[in-house]
Amino acid sequence: MIRFTAIRLVEIAAMVVLMSFVIYALIGLMPGDPIDLMMGADPHLNSADLARLKTLYGVDRPLFERYLAWAQAALHGNFGYSRLFAAPVVQTLLPRLGNSLILLGSSFVIGFALSLGLGIAAARRPRTRFDAAVNLACFAGVSMPTFWLALILILIFAQGLGWLPAGGIGGAGNSGFGDWLRHLVLPVATLTIANLGGYTRYVRAAMRDALGQDHIRTARAKGARETRVIWHHALRGALVPIVTILALSFGSLVSGALVTEEMFAYPGMGKLIFDAVMGNDYNLALAALLLATAVTMLANLAADLAYGWLDPRVSYR
Amino acid sequence: MKAPLALLCAIAAASLAGPLLAHFLGADPAAVDLLDRFAGPSMGHPLGTDELGRDMLLRLLEGGRVSLTIGVAAALAAAAVGTTVGLAAGYLGGWTDRVLMRLVDGVIALPLLPLLIVLAALDLDKLGVPRGLALSPSISLVRIVVLAVLVGWTTAARLVRGATLVTRSRDFVRAAQSLGAAVPHILWRHILPNVMAPLVVATTLSVGDIILLESVLSFLGLGVQPPLASWGSMLSNAEELITSSPLLAVYPGAMIFLTVIACNLLGDAMLSRYDPRDPARI
Amino acid sequence: MFSTEASGRCWSATSRGERSRRWLMLAVLFLALPAVAASAHDELAIGITQFPATLNPNIDAMAAKNYVLGLALRPFTVFDADWKIVCLLCTELPSFENGRAVVTELAGGKKGVDLTYTIRPDAMWADGVPVTTDDVKLTYEVGRNKESAVANAEMYRQILGVDVKDDKTFTLHWDRLSYDFAAIDDFVLLPAHLERAAFAEPAQYRLRTLYATDPTNPGLYNGPYRISEIASGSYIVLEPNPHWAGPPPYFKRITVRAIENTAALEANLLSHTIDMVAGEVGLPLDEALAFDKRHGSEFNILYKPGLSFEHVDCNLDVPALADRRVREALLVGLDRDTLTKTLFAGHQAVANSFVEPQDAGYTDDVPHYRYDPKRAAQLLEDAGWHTQPDGARANSDGKTLSLELATTAGNRSRELVEQVLQSQWKQIGIDIRIHNEPARVLFGETLLHRRFDLAMYAWISAPENAPRSIFRSDEVPSEANSYAGENLGDYKNPEMDRIIDALEIELDPGKRKVLWAEAQQLYATDLPSLPLYFRSDAFILPKWLTGLRPTGNQAPSTLWVTDWVERQ
Repeated sequence: MIRFTAIRLVEIAAMVVLMSFVIYALIGLMPGDPIDLMMGADPHLNSADLARLKTLYGVDRPLFERYLAWAQAALHGNFGYSRLFAAPVVQTLLPRLGNSLILLGSSFVIGFALSLGLGIAAARRPRTRFDAAVNLACFAGVSMPTFWLALILILIFAQGLGWLPAGGIGGAGNSGFGDWLRHLVLPVATLTIANLGGYTRYVRAAMRDALGQDHIRTARAKGARETRVIWHHALRGALVPIVTILALSFGSLVSGALVTEEMFAYPGMGKLIFDAVMGNDYNLALAALLLATAVTMLANLAADLAYGWLDPRVSYR
Repeated sequence: MKAPLALLCAIAAASLAGPLLAHFLGADPAAVDLLDRFAGPSMGHPLGTDELGRDMLLRLLEGGRVSLTIGVAAALAAAAVGTTVGLAAGYLGGWTDRVLMRLVDGVIALPLLPLLIVLAALDLDKLGVPRGLALSPSISLVRIVVLAVLVGWTTAARLVRGATLVTRSRDFVRAAQSLGAAVPHILWRHILPNVMAPLVVATTLSVGDIILLESVLSFLGLGVQPPLASWGSMLSNAEELITSSPLLAVYPGAMIFLTVIACNLLGDAMLSRYDPRDPARI
Repeated sequence: MFSTEASGRCWSATSRGERSRRWLMLAVLFLALPAVAASAHDELAIGITQFPATLNPNIDAMAAKNYVLGLALRPFTVFDADWKIVCLLCTELPSFENGRAVVTELAGGKKGVDLTYTIRPDAMWADGVPVTTDDVKLTYEVGRNKESAVANAEMYRQILGVDVKDDKTFTLHWDRLSYDFAAIDDFVLLPAHLERAAFAEPAQYRLRTLYATDPTNPGLYNGPYRISEIASGSYIVLEPNPHWAGPPPYFKRITVRAIENTAALEANLLSHTIDMVAGEVGLPLDEALAFDKRHGSEFNILYKPGLSFEHVDCNLDVPALADRRVREALLVGLDRDTLTKTLFAGHQAVANSFVEPQDAGYTDDVPHYRYDPKRAAQLLEDAGWHTQPDGARANSDGKTLSLELATTAGNRSRELVEQVLQSQWKQIGIDIRIHNEPARVLFGETLLHRRFDLAMYAWISAPENAPRSIFRSDEVPSEANSYAGENLGDYKNPEMDRIIDALEIELDPGKRKVLWAEAQQLYATDLPSLPLYFRSDAFILPKWLTGLRPTGNQAPSTLWVTDWVERQ
C-alpha cells in the first residue's frame, strides 16, 4: 500500500511537470497581448508606448526560454507576479482557493447527504412511482446547463422574493458572518442541485445492486431489523462504487464550479482560471491550472486508496 | 424507451425540415427586420421574433441542426477514437495496454473545463491553419467538435477495453486465433460486435453531455460564432434579455432540456434493457 | 421580550403592570428609532462590470480603475461635465493673462511653453501629510524613467523639466505649445513619502508600488474618500478621508462591486444589493434600454453620449474598397436612422463625421448620407460591380464582391449591429463574411497588421483632440515604423495632414473652429471609414440619489462625488 501510494505520488508529480509545459505552450499559442488591450482605453497612448511596455513585461523572448525561466523560479517557490492583479501569484491564488473550497465543500457535503437519503429511499422502493419520480428528477437536474439553473435561482430568490443577495461575496465593511453566509446560499444551492442528480443515480444504482445480493436476503431471513439491513449490510457493499464516484467528482468540481462562480460573481478558483487565461496572464493561469490539476489527481489517488481500503478483495501490487 | 426515442426523432426531423419550412414560408432565418423586434406569436411568425426581428421558429430549427450536428458528430467521433484505443489496449495487452491506460487516466485526471477554455481560445493562425479555412463560418463548429472529442474519448476507451478483455478470452475468439485469422479481422468480426452494446449506450448518453458542453462554451463566449446559431448560443444571448423577453430564452432552453433528457432517458432505458449486470457499467 | 402574562401569577399592583407596559413602549420606541434613522441612505453600493487590475494611477489605463480612483485621487486638471478644463488640485489654470503660461523659444525654432501651477494649500494625503512639490518631483521621475511601467510615457517625454519654486508651486517646461496646454489630466501625483521607497529599483516599481502591496494605506489617497478595504476581484470599500478639506462627502461608506455577468448585475440592482450601476463601466446600452422598459419606473436612468465614435474602418488597400464609390454605396446602403432608433431607442445619434456634437469643434455642415438603396445599387454598378443571376455582384474579371467584417467578439451589441449590417448589405448584393475576434487579438494583431477588409470598432478621443494617429498619412502601422500609429485604413490625404498639423498648434478658438470644420468636411467627402454613431452610456441611479452628473468624456463622474447627496 505504501509502495503503491509512493509510486502514484511520483506519477502525479511527473504528470504535473508535463502538464506545466503543455499548458505553458498552449497559453503561448493564444493570440495577442494584454498590453494591446490598453489601446482601447486610453486616447493618449501611442504604439511606441505599447512596444516599450511589451519589452518591459518580457513577452518578446522565445517560448521555451520563458518556460525554463518560469520553471526554475517555480522550483524555488516563486511563481511570479500576476499581471492582472499586480500581486504575487501565490498571494492571489490562496484566498481564491479558500473560497472555492468553501463553496465546493459545502455543496459536496450537502449533495452527498441528500443523495444518500434520496438514493437509498429510491432503491428501497423499486419500480414504484416514487422511484420513477426520483429517477426523472435526477435526469432533469443534469439536463440543464448550470448557468441556466443559476439564473433561475437568481430570478426567483434574489430578484423575485428578495430573500437572498444575487451574487458577490459577503463581509464588505464588516457586515458579519450572517451576511457572508447569506451570500453563500444561492451558489451552493446551484452547485448542489446541478450535481445531485448524478450522485443520486449512482447511489440508487449501487444500493439496488447491493440490496439484491445474497447476504442481504440472509440477513433479513435471520430477522435483522430493516434499518440495520440497509445501513449496515447493504450500504457497506454499496460504499465502494459510491466513494469512487464521489471522489472522482470532487476532483472535477474544482474546475467545474467555474460557471457558477461566473454567474454569482463569486471570487473562486474557476473564475480566476478563466480570467487569467482570457487575460493572457501567463503566471497566474499556469499556477492556477497546475493547482487544479494537482488537486484533481490527488482526489483520484484518495479515491483509489479508499477503494482499496473498503474492498478487501482489492490488493495493490 | 419508446417515448424518449420518439421525442428525439421528432426533434431531429423538425430540425432537418427547417430549410424546407423556410422555403415553404418564403422566409429567411437570417433576415433581419429591425422594425419587428421581440414580436409575439403571429401568423407570419408562429413563435414570434428575436432581438433582430428574425423568425424564432426558423432560428430554433436552424439552431437544432447545428446543436444536433455537433452532438452527434462529436459523439460518434469520440466513440470511434475511444474504440480504437480500447480495442488496441484490450486486445494487445502488455505494454500497449499499460501505456494507453496511463494516457487515459492522465486525460481523465485533468481539470476539464479550464483546459477546454485554453483550447477553445487558441489562435488558429498560430497553429498553422490556413487563413481561408480559419475564417470560414463553420470553423467554430469544427472547433467545438474537436474539443468534445479530445475530452470525450476516454469513456469509450475504458468501456471498450473492459469489454474486449472479457470477450477475447471467449472460445470463439480463441478458435479464430488458432485458425490463423488476422488481428484486424478478429477485432472487426468477433470482438467489436460484442462490445457494441455498452458502447452504443455510452455514445447515446454522451450526445446530451456534448450539447450541454456546447451551451457552456457559448455562455463563456467560446462557442458557435454569429451569425451561425445554436441552441446554446441562443440561450446565452437570451440570458441577458431575460427580464424583458423571457420567451427568447425559454424556447432554446426548453429544446436543450428536452433533447438532453431524452438522450439520458434513452441511454438509461437501453442500459437496463441490454445488460443490467454489465461489468463495463460505471 | 416582555410578557405581561409572565408566570401566570397575578401581578397585584396595576401600577406595576402599567409601568411594565410603559417600559415596553419605551423599549419598542428605542428599538424603532435606530431603524428609522438607518433607513436613510448613508451608504452607497455601486455596481461595475470589471474589477480594476492595479490601483496605481499611472500604470495601466483602465476605465474601471479611473472610475474608482475618481473617488479617492485628485488629478490636477480635468475636463468637467461642460467640457471645460477645470482645476481640481491646482489653484488656477495657467494662462497668458495671469502670467502662469509663458511661451518659450526652443532649439530649431520650435515653440514650447512654461506652465506654473500651485497646489491647493489645503490638499492633504489621507494620513495627514500635505501634498507638496516633493510628490511632483517623484511623479516626474517615475514618468520619465524608461523602466517603470508608466502607461502614458509620451506625455512625460514632452515635459523637458520641472522647476520647484516652493512647497506648493512648480513650473513644467513643455516642448510644444498645443491648444490645450493647460490640461495636465494625466499628471496624477504619487505620494512621495510612501512611494519613493518603492521606486528605489525602477524596474521593480510596478510590483513594489504600495498601490499593489498595501492598497488600503490612507497615505495613497488625497481625494474625498480613501480605500479602506479590498477583496481582490470582488469589491472595494471606500470611507471618507479625514484630512479632506473640500466639501464633505455625504456617504459614510461607498462599496464598489464588480459583477461581470450583466444579467447578474441587473439582478443585484433589482434586489438592492447594489444601489446604482456606473455608466462608465456598466451595462451596454441595448441592455440598459431593455432594463429601462421593464424597470425604468423604479430607477432614475440617465443617458449621456460619450466620446466614443463607432465606425466601420475600410482597408483602402483592398481593391474593392479603394474605390470611393463602393464606400459610399456601403454607407448609403445602411439604414442608420432605423438602426439607432430600434436598437438604441435613438440614444446613439447617427454620426455624419468623426467629431461628437458636444465637442467645441463640431459642425453639422458636412455632407449627409441618407439611406438610399437605389443610389447604392447605382454606385456599385458605376464602379463595375454588376448584379449576377443569384443576386450577388461581380466585376468584369468574374470576382464576386465579398468582404470580411470584423469586430470584437463577445460584445453582444456589436454582434447585433454586425448582423444588421450583413443583412442590409446583402440586399444590395454585397456578400459579407463575419469574423469576430477577442479585443486583444483584434487590436493587438489583426488590425495592427492590417489583415482586414472592414472592421467595426470605436475611436475614443478627448475633447478637441486632433486626429493625428488616425488620419495622418505617416501613422499607418507597418513593419517599417514598428507598427506604430492607428491609421489602419492607409488613408493618405496631404490636405488632411495639413489640417492636422495646423490644429495642433493653433490657439485661436475662431481659427480652430474653421480648421475643425475643414477636417470634418474632408472626412465626410473622402469617407475613409463609414461613420455609424456616437456611443452613449447609461447611468442607472436610485431615485433617492441626486447630484450625479455624467461628463460624457474620459473624466469619470466620480470626481464630483461630493455633489452626490440623498434627495430631501
